[in-house]
Amino acid sequence: MTVSNVVFAVILFGALAFFARSARRLTRWLHIGHDEVRTDHPDVRTKNFLTIGLAQTKILRDPLGGLMHALVFWGFMVLGLGTIEIMIQGLFTGFTWDTILPRFLYLPYVVSQEVFAVFVLIPVAYLLYRRLVIKPKRFTVDPVHGGDAVFILSMIATLMITLLLVFAMDLRAGASTDGRFISGFLANTLFAGVSPDTARTVSHVSWWVHALLILYFLNHLPFSKHLHVLTSLINVWFSNTSGPGRVGAMRPMDLEAENADQFGASDVEHLSWKNLLDGYSCTECGRCTAACPANLTGKVLSPRMIVVKTRARLTEKAKTLDLVAAGGGVATAEQTAVLDKKLLDDWITEEELWACTSCRACVEECPVSIDQLDIINELRRDLVLMESRFPEELAPALTSLERNGSPWAFSPADRERWSEGMDIPTMAELAGRGEQPDILFWVGCMGSFDDRAKKITVAFARILQAADVKFAILGQEETCHGDPARRMGNEYLYQMLAKGVIETLDGYQVKTIVTFCPHCFHQMGKEFPDIGGHYDVIHHTDYIERLLAEGRVPLDTEHGQRLKVAYHDSCYLGRYNDIYDSPRNTLRKALPVVELVEPARTKSRGLCCGAGGGRMWMEENTGKRVNVERSEELLATGADQIAVACPFCMTMITDGVTGAGSNVPVLDISEVVASRLAVTTPA
Amino acid sequence: MANVLVFAESRAGELRKVAYEAVTAARRLADLSGGGNVHAVVAGGAGIAGALEGLAQHGADSVLVLEHAAFTHYNPEALSATLAARLTGGTYRYAVFSATSQGRDLSPRVAAKLGVGLAADVTSFELDGETVVAKHPQNNGKVIATIAIAGAPAVLSVRPAAVQPEVNARPLSTEAITSSVDPSASRVKVVELQQGNTGKLDLNDAPVVIAGGRGLKSPENFKLCDDLADAFGNAAVGATRAVTDEGWRPHSDQIGQTGRNVSPNLYIAVGISGAIQHLAGMRTARTIVAINKDKDAPIFKIADYGIVGDVLEIMPAFTDAVRKARAQG
Amino acid sequence: MKIAVCIKRVPVMEVKFAISADGTRVEETGLKYDVNDFDLWAIEAALQLKEKAGAGEVTVISLGPDAAQEQIRKALAMGADRGVLLKSDSMPSDGFAVARALAAELKDGGYDLVLFGRIAIDSMNQMTGPMVAELLDLPCVTNVFKLDIAAGKGTAHRALEGATEVLEFPLPALLTIDDGLNKERLPSLKGIMAAKKKPLDIKPASLGAMGVTVRKMELPADRAAGRILGENADAVPELVRLLQTEAKVL
Repeated sequence: MTVSNVVFAVILFGALAFFARSARRLTRWLHIGHDEVRTDHPDVRTKNFLTIGLAQTKILRDPLGGLMHALVFWGFMVLGLGTIEIMIQGLFTGFTWDTILPRFLYLPYVVSQEVFAVFVLIPVAYLLYRRLVIKPKRFTVDPVHGGDAVFILSMIATLMITLLLVFAMDLRAGASTDGRFISGFLANTLFAGVSPDTARTVSHVSWWVHALLILYFLNHLPFSKHLHVLTSLINVWFSNTSGPGRVGAMRPMDLEAENADQFGASDVEHLSWKNLLDGYSCTECGRCTAACPANLTGKVLSPRMIVVKTRARLTEKAKTLDLVAAGGGVATAEQTAVLDKKLLDDWITEEELWACTSCRACVEECPVSIDQLDIINELRRDLVLMESRFPEELAPALTSLERNGSPWAFSPADRERWSEGMDIPTMAELAGRGEQPDILFWVGCMGSFDDRAKKITVAFARILQAADVKFAILGQEETCHGDPARRMGNEYLYQMLAKGVIETLDGYQVKTIVTFCPHCFHQMGKEFPDIGGHYDVIHHTDYIERLLAEGRVPLDTEHGQRLKVAYHDSCYLGRYNDIYDSPRNTLRKALPVVELVEPARTKSRGLCCGAGGGRMWMEENTGKRVNVERSEELLATGADQIAVACPFCMTMITDGVTGAGSNVPVLDISEVVASRLAVTTPA
Repeated sequence: MANVLVFAESRAGELRKVAYEAVTAARRLADLSGGGNVHAVVAGGAGIAGALEGLAQHGADSVLVLEHAAFTHYNPEALSATLAARLTGGTYRYAVFSATSQGRDLSPRVAAKLGVGLAADVTSFELDGETVVAKHPQNNGKVIATIAIAGAPAVLSVRPAAVQPEVNARPLSTEAITSSVDPSASRVKVVELQQGNTGKLDLNDAPVVIAGGRGLKSPENFKLCDDLADAFGNAAVGATRAVTDEGWRPHSDQIGQTGRNVSPNLYIAVGISGAIQHLAGMRTARTIVAINKDKDAPIFKIADYGIVGDVLEIMPAFTDAVRKARAQG
Repeated sequence: MKIAVCIKRVPVMEVKFAISADGTRVEETGLKYDVNDFDLWAIEAALQLKEKAGAGEVTVISLGPDAAQEQIRKALAMGADRGVLLKSDSMPSDGFAVARALAAELKDGGYDLVLFGRIAIDSMNQMTGPMVAELLDLPCVTNVFKLDIAAGKGTAHRALEGATEVLEFPLPALLTIDDGLNKERLPSLKGIMAAKKKPLDIKPASLGAMGVTVRKMELPADRAAGRILGENADAVPELVRLLQTEAKVL
């Protein structure tokens, strides 16, 4: 052991101890959030870890930036082996993996270190260039600190340069050239004139710079947004945004819990530890915000800031709690003031929360599986359930849901008026005859009361009749399942309505439900199971596709002009339920002469129509209207027709298209199919 | 043979149209009973006795005039006491009020003082023996109740416009009466009467609402709606969400789910297609008129009367016709 | 400030009403109920006055069937302090009978203010408030859409047809609350939970004889189906004629 070994040992163990302290503190802070089991389905979690985590699949949604980041990430994984070697070298001079590894393993190792040092250096150069010169909008739209990113990138660059310097200078000093083709090249060109003595000194200095920088880096991370380097893989494993569980389903809530005195979240302690881990894992890349329809159209909401503010509030509160504990448990006036603040209002405003359309674009984009929407939903729940605070325009919708079982004050008696003269039985009529239909056609409130949507209802019923499907409707017994209330944060009203619906459905022993409303589809299929409703719920696009595949729908596909059709993805079909193909396939089959054109943002990147998350019942007074933005994008495809698969999208897009002065028709998938029925059902 | 006391409502020293309706109703009751006397009570400040001819014209045998500075404005406490005092003692079998804001304030007080029931807001009535049997809409007008009032005197208030004033002239006979209590000692005092229609009528108050939609094509064309509102004289102008979103009209003018809910007697939808969002705010209007270029527009499904065509052409013609009709009426 | 609010359980109106077989009642099956809208505004007014005063008690009184406890609980969930149900299995046809029962309950309550909604949307009588005022000899202002209360006195704006009266009155007083005074708060879940623990007294309503009886209930004639009168300005004369003669709105 030399003096330098001892010095290094002191530094190494000091650094590790300091890091352990930081890590323990961060872990302890997570416990400010409430408990939540996130270890179920380890198989799915491990799969997410391997794909989203290690294979970086979501990062790669941005092809260039994603590849650059992935190279750095994979480089770090590979170079980690070298880092261990260096740490051991510091303690035992002269150690290399060669000492313990067989040659056939050591040589590839040497090559890998050389290659990945360069693989990291190239993207770092690009990323620095992007930060400093290109400056994409998502880096500047929010008040986040770009400075740290530049600092970290420079540090990584220095690490790679010193590493390559150590390799190259060692070669000049006479080390083995086996496998060292890059440093060998550098040694023989750039550093050809360096004497062995100088080389030894430079190598020595570079080695120390590299080793110390690594230890500094390790201890810098817990205090920087680059904490994600340490936590994101863990976060991906614990996340539910790509499963396990029912993707997009809101967090269940026990309203009957004894002694519950908080519903939803107004501060960090009401969030789960996983929400807080999301905060640690956010590196402020802004992909979520760049995809957010509210942010894109000038609203104050930025999903990134929701996460950043959650982390900031956690840090503020946790540090203060630590100080208070250290001070003997008595808080100063200043400390009390900090503790009395809340995440809600003091950090995140109501306006941000109500701007959300719950479209899930942010969640879909996040490379490290952060759930921004979960935090938004929990804060909305506090606003409504604890404080009864919401935009006043929501009051009529909530009142009507309670009184009339529909967000619009229409009479339940009018629900089945669309079916007059169509000879469609209700469940009650069938039950009276002792019969059971194959499917229940769930019409939904839009389909029952909105005159435009009623045309979709009729079109779909005609398809079912043409295909000879034995179906029934609930008629006056149908009521809203409460999804709008749930999205607005009113879990109480939601559960009341949902339980009522489940009671009705179970009373008729309903098993299969088909609906054309993606919100009904998602709610009844994906969220009902949490409160005891278990049905096979099928969206009409899937169902029509199936009927077409079985050849049960007689279509006239001979005639008709060649049409260019643009399909607009509904969030609750696409991102919530991964249904992208069946509407497109249905269009292609129903219209063999169709040409499908895609808008700029499509499928999992599709832009929301602006109606989700209860926005249908709210005013939109700030910035550009989301439906206008989306409609312009759809019109820009030059389509002759726009197809939708959701009655809410229908309203919003029709409005946007009309507003743009265009007369391009907006049709539901079922209307397109019904218009091609070969045999029209007798009127 | 039964005598009827009727309260003839005035405001700011002038008799209102409902006063003649009430007198007509009282006359009818008296006649139904086999011909009794109708005594109309008028209250007001100095000068109220000036223009009472109309009451006799519509069938009041006698007009009892309560003239006092303390009756310049509505004085519910003194008025109810005076009327109750008049009605006590068996001279009158029936008492008739208008079911206006004033009559609906006054008649329950009088009935309570007399300790009898009240048939409020009746739309028609007849006699079954001496018992008044009347129709009274309930449940937002979705149910019609036929009620009977047994008390003596039987007190009823008649819905405005339910009875059209009928001329049934007799010579004007007036009698000055005094308040049964000190009218200046009332605890509740009207300190100001703000006559309406000086400014714009509020959407919720206006008996006629004209709403414009995107079919008007530009903010300037909203003048067509304003002109029609002027022609009606008792109308307010609203708009759809699409229009207020465009900034053509202020958000406070929005009628619909996220805006105002209105239920006027007459609703005129101009260039409005009738999305659920809009219908939710105006479906309960009594009569709905729709003007739209698209004959398949959903608004025609709920409209009582529709005209298909160019709103820019129809509106000026409609405005002219309304102006003429009002000038004649 | 001690305030009483009288509220009524009324059916939700967005239904097709049916008449019972004997033709004298509205069929109750299938009806949903809520607090009368105008009474919600009266509750809201009481809560705001109490909040502004910083102290006080809001008592909610309802005359109705057992199930009207639900509506009282809603008022408690909004923030009222206690409830009283004057139990009556059927709703009296005579508003004066209701007024007598309410007045008996209110009489010795020592309330500074008694609030009613302007009208109950089911019976549409609009009489109970002023009748109670007479029975208790309280100053009374109806149709209040703007209200200021300070130092034992109040100023109220009262809606007339096309005009407004501004009135002054001393406390204690009875007011009936109209549309436009406020927008009622929706109870929070926190409020709903708290309401379960608030006191609710149930006592029989003393109604007495009925001065008004129902002889018959019927549904109005169906609204005639809408008509397209024609195209463009040519159809205007017919429209104006129908507005004058048929709809009688011009």
